[in-house]
Amino acid sequence: MKEKLRQVGDFVWELPKGSRERMEVSARIIGSNAIIDQVEDDAVQQLTNVATLPGVVGPVCGLSDMHWGYGLPMGAVGAFDAEEGIISAGLCGFDINCGINSIRTNLSAEEIESNKKELIQTLFNKVPVGVGSKGKLVLTDEQLDDVMRRGINWAIENGYGTKEDAARMEEHGCMEGADPSKVSDLAKKRGRSQLGTLGAGNHFLEVQKVSDIYDKGFADRLGIKDTNQVMIMIHCGSRGLGHQIATDYLKIQEQAVKKYGIWLPDPQLACAPVGSSEGKDFFSAMKCAVNYSFTNRLVMTQWIREAFEQVFKKSWEDMDINTVYGLCHNVIKLEEHTVNGEKRKLYVHRKGATRAFPDDPAIIAGTMGTSSYILKGTEKSMGMTFGSTCHGAGRRMSRHAAIKKFWGGKVKEELANMGIEAQSPHPKSLAEEAPGAYKNVDDVIESVHGAGISLKAVRMVPVGVIKG
Amino acid sequence: MKYKFIDDLTSDVMFEAYGKTLEELFSNAADAMFSVICQKGKVQAKDIKEVAVEAESEGKLLIGWLQELIGMVDVDEMFFSRFDVLSIRKVADHGKRTLWTLKARVFGEPISPEKGGTVVKAVTNYGFKLEKTPKGFKARVSLDI
Repeated sequence: MKEKLRQVGDFVWELPKGSRERMEVSARIIGSNAIIDQVEDDAVQQLTNVATLPGVVGPVCGLSDMHWGYGLPMGAVGAFDAEEGIISAGLCGFDINCGINSIRTNLSAEEIESNKKELIQTLFNKVPVGVGSKGKLVLTDEQLDDVMRRGINWAIENGYGTKEDAARMEEHGCMEGADPSKVSDLAKKRGRSQLGTLGAGNHFLEVQKVSDIYDKGFADRLGIKDTNQVMIMIHCGSRGLGHQIATDYLKIQEQAVKKYGIWLPDPQLACAPVGSSEGKDFFSAMKCAVNYSFTNRLVMTQWIREAFEQVFKKSWEDMDINTVYGLCHNVIKLEEHTVNGEKRKLYVHRKGATRAFPDDPAIIAGTMGTSSYILKGTEKSMGMTFGSTCHGAGRRMSRHAAIKKFWGGKVKEELANMGIEAQSPHPKSLAEEAPGAYKNVDDVIESVHGAGISLKAVRMVPVGVIKG
Repeated sequence: MKYKFIDDLTSDVMFEAYGKTLEELFSNAADAMFSVICQKGKVQAKDIKEVAVEAESEGKLLIGWLQELIGMVDVDEMFFSRFDVLSIRKVADHGKRTLWTLKARVFGEPISPEKGGTVVKAVTNYGFKLEKTPKGFKARVSLDI
C-alpha cells in the first residue's frame, strides 16, 4: 500500500480515495522522507481500513509518530459524522486518556544538581510506580463514582491540585456527561485502589530541564522563562479501570457490528453507530475513564509537589510548581470542524495523537534519553489533521527485541553517563523502554513543525527519570 | 516447549502457547502472559484462587480466561505463578446455545513492585488463533502493553 502514497507538500503525503476498494475518503500522512521510509506498510493499510467505515469524514490522518496499533495505528486520527457516523472503542485504544501533564518550577538545573539523586529517590518513594505497586488511596464506591463523574473537581476538593491546575488542562480536567452506571463492576473494582499510581510500560515520571526556547512569547505565557529551568512531566493513563472499560466495550461493539450490519475490513475496528445504545453508552463510559485519568495525574502532581518540598525545604508555591498544560493522547471528542467550508460536528478519535488547537500547547514526550517538546497548535492543524498533532517518538523495536538487545543495568549506566538519573522497580523496564527502541523524536517533531500543524515552542531534556 | 514469544508487534507482545490437551494449552498460555506481567520465577505459589470462565467458543474461552486473570491482578492484588486448569468442557445451555466452561485453581502471592514486570492492558484479537495440531493444541495470542 505504501507505494501508492503521493507527496503533496512538504512533509505531507496522501493516499487517494480509491487506493483500495470501499475507501470513502483519502488518507493523509505527515512525515519526512525518513519517517515515511520507516512507516510499516500494515500501518498504512490500517488507515485505509478506517477510511471505509460508515460516516467517515476525510482524511484519515497518520501523524509522524505513526506505527501499527490495534485497529488504527498509534499516532492517528479518524473523524466521523455526529449523526451518520460510528464511534469505536477499537479506535480509541485500550488505555483511555493515556495522556501527559507538563509541570514547571522556578528552579534551575544547577540548583537541583547536588540533590538530584535524593530528589529522584524521594519521587520514587512518593509516587507508586510499576506493576505490583499498591495505591495509597482506596476509594469507596461513592468516591470512585464522584471521580468518574466530576474528574479533577473531586481531586481539588480533596486537597490534590488547585483551580489553576484545572484551568490548564484539556476539558479543564473533566469531560461532561460521564455516566458511571455504564461502567462494569469489574472495571470499578480495578479502579478503586489505583488512583494516584503511575503504572508501567511506557509510562514515566521525568524531571527535565529546558534546553531550547523557540517561541519566547508563547513560552512566557506558559511561565517558562529560561533555558535550564527545571520542568516535570507525567505520562500515564486510566489504569485498570480504563483498560477494562475498553475491553468491555470492544466486546459489546463486536456484537453491535453484527446487529447493525456494519461491514468491517478488519474485525479489530469494532464500532457502533453514534446514535445506538452501544455507541452512546461507550461514549459515557469512556468519559468516566478520561476523568479518572485526569484525576490520576493531578493526584500525582500533588505528591510530586510534596517530594520537592521535602528535598528543597521550600513550599511548592515558592518553587512555582504549577501545571503548564495537561492533555489526552487517547480519546474521542465531539468537536466542531470546518469540512469543505461547512461546519460539522464530528466524533474525532485521537489514538496516540494530541489535540493541537490554534495557540494551545501540545505536549510531546520523547524517550528516556532524549528530548520532549511543547508545541504551539496552529490554524493549519484544523484544516489538515482535525486540530491534532503527534504524541511521542513512536516505537521502532518490539519490547521483546529490546529486552534481548539491551540490558537494564547497562541502560541505567549509559543514562547516568548522560547525566540522567534513572530509577525503576526492576532493570527490565529500563531495557524495554531503552531510547534505542524508539524512533528519533527530533525527526518526528521536525515533520509536524515542517508541515505547520504545530510549531516548536520549547524543548526539554531529561535530568532524571522514573519508569514503571 | 510450553510457549515462545514472537517478534511480530512493535508496540505489543505476541506469543504462541502449546499443550497436549486444551487444559495444558490454557495453563501454558497463562504462564506466558504472567512471564510478562511479573517475574514469575520469584512468585511463590502460596495463595490459591478459584477461577470459573465461560464463553461461546474455545477461542473466546482462552481470551476470557486470560482477561479474567488480568483483572484478578488488580482486584485481588496478586501475582500468579501456577495455573492448574482443572477442566474445560463443552456444554449445551438449555439445549440451544453451545457454551464452553473452564474451571481452574491459580496460585500466587500478593503483588510487590520488585517482582513486577509490565502492565498488560488487554488480550486482543489481533492474529488470534487456536488450532489442533498433530501433537495437541497450539494458540497464538497478542497482548496490548
